[in-house]
Amino acid sequence: MTSRLAEHEHVHTKTRSPRRFVWLGIGVVGIAALLGIRALLTGSGFSLPNELQDLLTLSISVVIESLPFVILGILLSIVVQVWLPDGILMKYLPRNPALRRFCISLFGIFLPVCECGNVPLARGLIVGGFTVPESMTFLLAAPIVNPITIITTHQAFGFDDGILVARLLGGLAIANIIGWLFSLHARPDALLTPGFAAECARPADAHHHSRTSKSVDIFIREASVIMPALFIGSLVAGAIQVVVPRDVLVALGSNPLWSILAMMVLAFVIAVCSNVDAFFILPFANTFMPGSIATFLVFGPIIDIKMLAILRTTFTTRVLVQLTVVVGLLSALVGLVVNYVA
Amino acid sequence: MLRNLQRWRGVVLIGIAVVATIWLAFGNQLVLYIHPRYIVFTMIMGVIALGLIVASVVVRTHPEDEERPRALSLIGVGVAAVIALAMIVVPPATLTSATASHRDITSTTVGAETQSVSDAAAASVATFRTFTVVDWASLLRQTSDLSFYSGKPVDVVGFITADPDDPTNMFYVSRFVVTCCAVDAQPTGVPVFLANWQDTYAVDDWVEVTGQFGTNPSTSSKQSITLTPDAVTKVDQPSEPYLY
Repeated sequence: MTSRLAEHEHVHTKTRSPRRFVWLGIGVVGIAALLGIRALLTGSGFSLPNELQDLLTLSISVVIESLPFVILGILLSIVVQVWLPDGILMKYLPRNPALRRFCISLFGIFLPVCECGNVPLARGLIVGGFTVPESMTFLLAAPIVNPITIITTHQAFGFDDGILVARLLGGLAIANIIGWLFSLHARPDALLTPGFAAECARPADAHHHSRTSKSVDIFIREASVIMPALFIGSLVAGAIQVVVPRDVLVALGSNPLWSILAMMVLAFVIAVCSNVDAFFILPFANTFMPGSIATFLVFGPIIDIKMLAILRTTFTTRVLVQLTVVVGLLSALVGLVVNYVA
Repeated sequence: MLRNLQRWRGVVLIGIAVVATIWLAFGNQLVLYIHPRYIVFTMIMGVIALGLIVASVVVRTHPEDEERPRALSLIGVGVAAVIALAMIVVPPATLTSATASHRDITSTTVGAETQSVSDAAAASVATFRTFTVVDWASLLRQTSDLSFYSGKPVDVVGFITADPDDPTNMFYVSRFVVTCCAVDAQPTGVPVFLANWQDTYAVDDWVEVTGQFGTNPSTSSKQSITLTPDAVTKVDQPSEPYLY
């Protein structure tokens, strides 16, 4: 029965192949036609109202900035799932769960991918056999300990006020604490969206397809999950930028507690990539206390409006609410410690 | 049909985004959205994505049965498609004064320290002429000592945003400073005193202002020092409207 189904599947795909080329053709011609319309609009002095134009510019800029990292993340996810020998990552990890999660939280040091690219990779790790809490630990730590983030944070702040150290240690601690908390859950699969849980439950490699075919299949699947979320997350991030006046947040800068909260709100709405957020926040360093800068740098890579949209592809809403609250409290704690110690 | 949509929506969206990005890069307009240092990386990943898209059409895959999409996810795809369409159709533009007015432009609190007072004090007249809006704003934040500014010529280009405290007589020559992409753009401006400027110029006009700093004659503005213009000339928007 299974083999007949598989056969049917093959025939089905074969007959569909030429149609795909037709669609590819339609796509290419369609995009060319739309670019033609743009050329006409540019010539005719067309312009949108300022707010709408800025909403578009901001949303598109988030998409363009995130896209290369998403593609890199999908590539790495393909490498982990298809091209690395089975279980190679598992083989060298310690058996003790806490120690194991700690090692996983250090994976990011070797991966120059920021937060949105890490989501496809973390999904790949779960499909590849990691537990949900383990993959979550990786997901939260990686954007903070990744090499580019460390370099840019050092370029921006050096070792001033312990901001770099607080960011690294704080990020690692939060990732491991979250991993531990969720490992206490009786059924970790219940943390995942039903769709993704079903995907993980599928027997791996039932058909013995070629590696190329599997790689392309992962590309198609991950793209279909991440891309709509990226576009919607970008739109929401852009809309908040247009609606919420940023100077309100800046006005709260000099109070030890309020400045931390203001920075968390700023990190949430700005949704800027962890590789470069240190440069973004540097000009605020004169106004805001060092602890609130540290909070921004710890909270922002893990939780922001665009990230929540992308994470929702994989985790349930309930998990995301818990995650946001715990990460918020812990990163505020990091900020308070820096404010009172430094 | 719906299942095909569910399966191929991501590839289509990546395709549109990548083509739009590469098109912008060739038109030298990618800088309207991201910092120049990311252009090479973005282009490399774009070309790889194009390869993957072609592979996904050419290579025979073995799709598992896709779930039927739910209504909510269809709405999501619809929203994504609208932005994707806008990415291709709407001509790219810089951020406008609408965003600048949301982000503290008065330059008294936030901004990069691109110039220091002690270095600038010894600089030549020719050097001052090359100072941008960002350089002057950085100096204004550090000192309001009039003697420091006397005899130093100012020649800056930027777009006009009105001073909220005295919109009839004061405006800012403004530029956005970008560290990563347009989302983090921070407006910076130099205050200019020109009585009834709105008779001749409009908000968002690009202008070149020359003159010198002096005491601010405006009574309602919070700025103590302002640029007294010798000339304000309308100019075209520069090809790289943001400063870095």
